[in-house]
Amino acid sequence: MYAVLHPSNFFAQAAVHQRPELRKKPFVVLDGEPPSETVFAANNSARSLGVEIGMTRLHVEAFSEVIALRRVIEHEHTAHASLHHVACMFSPRIELVEERPGTYALDVSGMDLLYGDAGQLANKLRQSVMTAGFLANVAVAENFHAAVSLASSRTGVSVVPPGGEAHAIGQLPLTALHLTPEHEATFATWGIRTCADLAALAETELISRLGQVGKKLHSLACGTWPHLMFPMEASFEAGLVERMELDFPVEELERLLFLISRMTTTLLERVRGKARAIAALRVILRLDGGAQHERTVRPALPLQDTPTLLKLIQLDLETHPPCAAILGLELHAQSAVPYRAQHGLFLPQSPEPGQLEVMLARMRKLLGEKRVGSPELTDDHRPNAFRMVPFAPPQPRRNERPSLSTPIALRVSRPPQMVGVALTNQVPVRVFWDGASYVVRDAAGPVRVSGQWWSEANWCREEWDVRLENASAERLCRIAFDPRSRCWYVQGTYD
Amino acid sequence: MGLAAAIRVQVEATLAQRVPAALTLKIKQAPELFSTGIAEVDAMLGGGIPRSSITEVSGASSTGKTSFALSAVASITQLGNACAWVDISDALSPEATAAAGVELRRLLWLRMSAERGKKVKVTDKPWSRLEQGLKATDLLLQTGGFGAIVLDMSDVLPQHARRIPLGTWYRFRLAAEHARTALIFLTQSPCASSCATLALRCEPAAAIPFSSSGETPLFERQQYEFARERNRNEGSPFLQRKPTQRVCWPAETLWSRVR
Repeated sequence: MYAVLHPSNFFAQAAVHQRPELRKKPFVVLDGEPPSETVFAANNSARSLGVEIGMTRLHVEAFSEVIALRRVIEHEHTAHASLHHVACMFSPRIELVEERPGTYALDVSGMDLLYGDAGQLANKLRQSVMTAGFLANVAVAENFHAAVSLASSRTGVSVVPPGGEAHAIGQLPLTALHLTPEHEATFATWGIRTCADLAALAETELISRLGQVGKKLHSLACGTWPHLMFPMEASFEAGLVERMELDFPVEELERLLFLISRMTTTLLERVRGKARAIAALRVILRLDGGAQHERTVRPALPLQDTPTLLKLIQLDLETHPPCAAILGLELHAQSAVPYRAQHGLFLPQSPEPGQLEVMLARMRKLLGEKRVGSPELTDDHRPNAFRMVPFAPPQPRRNERPSLSTPIALRVSRPPQMVGVALTNQVPVRVFWDGASYVVRDAAGPVRVSGQWWSEANWCREEWDVRLENASAERLCRIAFDPRSRCWYVQGTYD
Repeated sequence: MGLAAAIRVQVEATLAQRVPAALTLKIKQAPELFSTGIAEVDAMLGGGIPRSSITEVSGASSTGKTSFALSAVASITQLGNACAWVDISDALSPEATAAAGVELRRLLWLRMSAERGKKVKVTDKPWSRLEQGLKATDLLLQTGGFGAIVLDMSDVLPQHARRIPLGTWYRFRLAAEHARTALIFLTQSPCASSCATLALRCEPAAAIPFSSSGETPLFERQQYEFARERNRNEGSPFLQRKPTQRVCWPAETLWSRVR
């Protein structure tokens, strides 16, 4: 049993899917290179005014009431994705009818337990398509081709009882069979107008005149031509896209967030339908002047809630704002299996992943990108060489601490502070630092360190550990002498 | 039942609606403690630093505050908890942190900078860094889930630290209690006053001269001294002030481990 879903005048419907206010007005969709654009699709209001497919732009401009839209392929892709999404809710086996754009055939065998009988299923399917913003015809029949012909020619819902295909399609014009122009002309000369007329012809006579095509056409007209279904296995990931064009440039991010929230919710609904979560969200802002601003939000764990994703996008866009007003936006999602954690009563505590992600985004906004994270030591001889990596604590696990003595911590001066040093016998005896004079009680050194001698970034210095003392304070510091700049500076204080 | 007990029961029954157990001493729950990783200090503190409250470690530079905090954070991360280090002066050394035994992947390091935030001229005043640090600590406490948070104000002068409103510390104390986090302040002079459950004062200990056994003198070890000024967790129902307890503990440089 097949249910076929056919949105009539698909290209016109796709063009105004994002702008529902245009549906009642006469409009045409123009395609081609300016200035030689031609009418590619038009709605019924425009056709009733006299607009025809293939007219040039100049012709269309003669009709003052008709609105001219440019064909946008992305809109058609989005419309296809929406229809496909609706079809997926009713059957796992779906085929795109290639010769009729926007038409989907669903194998609904066994779906009666979920959606009721064929009539109820067809009505529900039509209702869902209308909710998605499309007007479509739905036909249910045992034969695939009969259902396609019915859906493309008869408005509303058509349900064919088993064995009644020939009768149901009998009254349809021959164009419902999608004939080639030659065959159409041949049948016109024979005086054959409807499918019933064609079905009434003798099959062998038809084959002797038209060849094997005659057999196919006869079977199609009788509603008995078999079909081997090839269900689509469309890439789910490629369909996770939402686009929006703005009527006027928007500069404030707050106003944009309402739209992003709606689009994120739509994407999440699609993703949840497959029991998955959003692992990454790419936001593309089309800016005034033709530029693009692209940001990617990649939470540490796949998320399934809109507020957290929205907050992450907001904080990221506030940290990296676009340089011009925004004209359009696109959201591309990447899905992944949702994070499931088995918590334990006796496990050490760790931050909740969603909250942690938002907190880290806030911190990045407050302090800067490079100043939030975990330190990671790099394989380098230069003292205090490290890089910052994103904070992602591993699963709580107890480790045995090696029983070593407590090390003395060095508090690093970033950047190193210049000091004045008085030497006696090449050993520091007095240090002038921050307007105070210190006597060197103890000095250990020099420790000569150098590196990167093969490159421009070579460095060398003599390091001293010194115990400084004056009337009010005592300090243990590491000072260093840079022979190239002949400067002394404080590297850090032991504390 | 004696007369006193009977009267007590009668009074408590009368006041039960307004004050539950009016004349019975409240049994205080023993606080959960985190070991500091230094046996001497743990012995003085009765097991370690308290969770869900503020520990204030104050003292001049080179008195062992950072070494102590790193050792405490190391033992807390070894338990599997995540920790955060709010670094007002951007002075933490990752090498020293790793050497102390901290699991770096469980440590969130937040480095304040004077240039960030409001577009003002960079001065020697730490206001913007302090503001960032307090805001960051607030966010961390609100998020929750961290075993310990260290607010490192070691390089902030006492006159600057004292200008932080007392309400901030009260708010932090409540938030730490709610988030079950050990909040550790490193300061030059005490500023959290009564909000700190445990207050430790670091004092300069007897200086150990640099070792001169090799060709050149070498800085090998240092002795630190801690004085416990306040510990609200000690279970005496009557607030009697105990004498200050002191403890000395040693710390070694990394290269002395090798020798």
